[in-house]
Amino acid sequence: MNAPQPYFYAENLHKRFGDQVVLENITLGFEQGKVNGIMGPNGAGKSTCFNLLTGMYKPDRGRIVFDGEDITGLSPEAIARKGVSRSFQIINLFDEFTALENIMVALPRVRTAMSRVLWDLRGDSALMDEARDILVQVGLKGRESTRAADLPYGQRRALEIGVALAARPRIVFLDEPTQGLGSDGRVNLADLINELKRNYTLVIIEHDMSFLFGLAHKISVIHWGQVISEGTPDELMQNEWVRASDLGKVA
Amino acid sequence: MLTSPRGAPLVNVQMLIFFAVLLSYPLWASSAGLYQYLGVEIAIFVIYALGFNLLLGYTGLPSFGHGAFLGVGAYAYGLWQSAFPNVFAGLLIAIVCAGLSAGIVALFLSHRRGIYFALMTIAFGQIFWFLSIKLRWITGGEDGLLNILRPEIDFRFTSINLSSNVSLFYLVAILLIAVILILWRVVHSPFGTALQAIRMNETRARFAGHRVWLIKWSVFTLSGAIAGLAGGLLCITQESAYPDVMSLHASGFVVMMTLIGGGFVSFWGPVVGAIVFILARDVIGAWTETWLLWYGLLFMAVMIVEPEGVVGVWRRIEARLKGKTAGVAPVSAAKREAV
Amino acid sequence: MDFLNNLLPHLLNGLALGLLFALIALGFTLIVSVMEIINLAHGSLFALGAYVAMVIINPGFTDSGALGSYYMSLPLGLRYVIALVFAPIVIAIVGFGLEIILRRTYGKKKEYGLLLTFGAALVLEEIIRLIWGPAEQFLPTPDAISGAFIAHGMIYSTYRVYAMCFGIFAIIMVWLFLEKTPYGAIIKAGAHDSEMVRALGINLPRLQMLVFGFGAALAGIAGIILTPIWGLRPHVGIDATIPAFLIIVLGGIGSFKGAVTGGILVGLAVGLTGAYASDWSLLSMYLLLIAVLTFRSRGLFGKKTALEA
Repeated sequence: MNAPQPYFYAENLHKRFGDQVVLENITLGFEQGKVNGIMGPNGAGKSTCFNLLTGMYKPDRGRIVFDGEDITGLSPEAIARKGVSRSFQIINLFDEFTALENIMVALPRVRTAMSRVLWDLRGDSALMDEARDILVQVGLKGRESTRAADLPYGQRRALEIGVALAARPRIVFLDEPTQGLGSDGRVNLADLINELKRNYTLVIIEHDMSFLFGLAHKISVIHWGQVISEGTPDELMQNEWVRASDLGKVA
Repeated sequence: MLTSPRGAPLVNVQMLIFFAVLLSYPLWASSAGLYQYLGVEIAIFVIYALGFNLLLGYTGLPSFGHGAFLGVGAYAYGLWQSAFPNVFAGLLIAIVCAGLSAGIVALFLSHRRGIYFALMTIAFGQIFWFLSIKLRWITGGEDGLLNILRPEIDFRFTSINLSSNVSLFYLVAILLIAVILILWRVVHSPFGTALQAIRMNETRARFAGHRVWLIKWSVFTLSGAIAGLAGGLLCITQESAYPDVMSLHASGFVVMMTLIGGGFVSFWGPVVGAIVFILARDVIGAWTETWLLWYGLLFMAVMIVEPEGVVGVWRRIEARLKGKTAGVAPVSAAKREAV
Repeated sequence: MDFLNNLLPHLLNGLALGLLFALIALGFTLIVSVMEIINLAHGSLFALGAYVAMVIINPGFTDSGALGSYYMSLPLGLRYVIALVFAPIVIAIVGFGLEIILRRTYGKKKEYGLLLTFGAALVLEEIIRLIWGPAEQFLPTPDAISGAFIAHGMIYSTYRVYAMCFGIFAIIMVWLFLEKTPYGAIIKAGAHDSEMVRALGINLPRLQMLVFGFGAALAGIAGIILTPIWGLRPHVGIDATIPAFLIIVLGGIGSFKGAVTGGILVGLAVGLTGAYASDWSLLSMYLLLIAVLTFRSRGLFGKKTALEA
């Protein structure tokens, strides 16, 4: 193999639950500084794939490598600490915390300071500013004192991504970020992603094709637990397989 | 709010009021119909409950076997005292032994939460209780360790005899103040914030990179150590140590008092709860032997009707009063008092 | 050979314990699977069953006239059978009451239900202590099933054989009820998918109440049979809850086979430890629970459930 390895890649991943083989021989690579997409119908195994890549499950076989480091089988905490961050399809926030506190608790500065028992987080204005910046980034300016549970859905979605960003990751995995959003929400989200791709490597799972096609540099298509196709949106449009199935119908 | 949203000064108004009331207790106790020994007991249980609430209210881990650590502290102090009568060394030993026990137990349950966690704490609690009865040659069995004399504390310029309930009260009160000041800082620190994050959403905390197992282990151990301090003080006060504090029954006390007070929603919940518990025991216990039954029913009622406990009720009243004077006060803002 | 012979009475003891544990566990697992409540008060119902039976056998109103003395003149065996029939019914009613109280916590955080049943367990134990005192009580058993007999040169306790047989009988009855009656089918459906049951037009709250009562009754029956072996004190409740839970974890939630297999395993473990160190045999149960929960949570037959929070 002469070409350099991708920034984040997986080789020959296998995963079974009970006697059901969910993923077979998955090999994927994501390029640094780009928006990478994973696409596929429901039940195809893309969520499982996502969960494998971010450490929720351990693969039965195969390797996952990030920036030259083998992260296969590491716990989610360990993978997160290496700079891999993810958002969740079903919103997964700290509901009783305010939006600001949600961000704050995920900041690496805070996370690594467990022994600093005298540090009054909420009284530290520099820290609060740092957290506030992230809120602004995801469009939640001014919502900082609202409890996460009290935010409207679209803002909860934004906060969901905000928490993933708070960990100052190098690569961010977004799990169906358009879930439940209307067309306005989608537009905002697309703008956000275009902003984010300047500073982060993104991997997005979506089954909203039009959304993904407009944003992603390269998309991997997973169906029946395998990667059946890979390429830029244009290349995929040429792929007869993709065209034949519903995947080819871009709104 | 379990933590103050605007940051936590070292000492705030509620604390100062509480400290003033606490330190002046011996002066006004009898006019309120209370007595010295009661003050000591209340202060000890407040320490116990504050440490316990780190685990239950902040981290959401229900421990039904915490009496084990109170008991370990009491026995450790008692045994040490028979050999080396020195209060501070004894209390330190109590804290260390209880912390060590909690640390070992925590190795087995830090990867769990919810019902599995609770059942394991019950199992460990029962084991400790069983051992404290069976190992007669160490613990005195069902009869307990007796005749632990209240010692003198020797400072170079003076010595204080703890036989007096007043002196003992001040010893406990000062330790209580220290515990409050320390825990107040801890809950507002990164550690304290992580505890709450784990309670709300352990999965997300993990994916944000928090070492959840280690944090849970630490808070369990810390909580056990504080229980050990309370246990040591209890041993001094009662001049004895008994197995029954380790029973499921007694472990249930600290759960009930913490929650009735409002441990789920306030730093001060356990304080209120411990006071209510001891007063209930004395006041209701004066006219019926079955006070525990009524207390247990009260606990069930609280869980059904108002899980936020006394402090929760207090806040609602406050919110309603504020709402009446200031127009419509948003609920989330009104709930965020520092008390 | 001798070694094995010495072990036999303890094996028998373990088997008897195990079958009765299985009965407790069956009630427990039905409640858990239909309602996803962990009933920490289950053991209290176990204890209450025995105490109520004791009262039915010896109501203590011997001076209250003709009816009283007539009742007491009935043979112990008859009164025992009456207790065996009616005490579980009383416990079932207590179970109904408990379920109604628990309803308020259904939508809320799991911790509340747990704490509430914990409170209920303490309250029930306190009530028991109040009515009957903290000292050990004695549940009278008819002569026919008491005493001992000799077989193959070993002394066996008649009662333990009876307990074992009763356990087998009760488990078979429960199995028949679940498998062969329409009510059983509804309960099984509810255990599998409570929403579906509701969609089928079955009154879910009533089903839940009945299941709770049924589970409670099973615990109560187990209490009547087991306490002559274990002793009857207010505290015995928690000693019954732990094996129930342990068995569910070992055997899996909602699994009939699991409850029975797990019950027998735990019973044998406790019975055999009892062979060597009787006091410590209960301790073995707690140690076993810790070992299992430290390493394994799905059990032998179960699947991931809502319990894994």
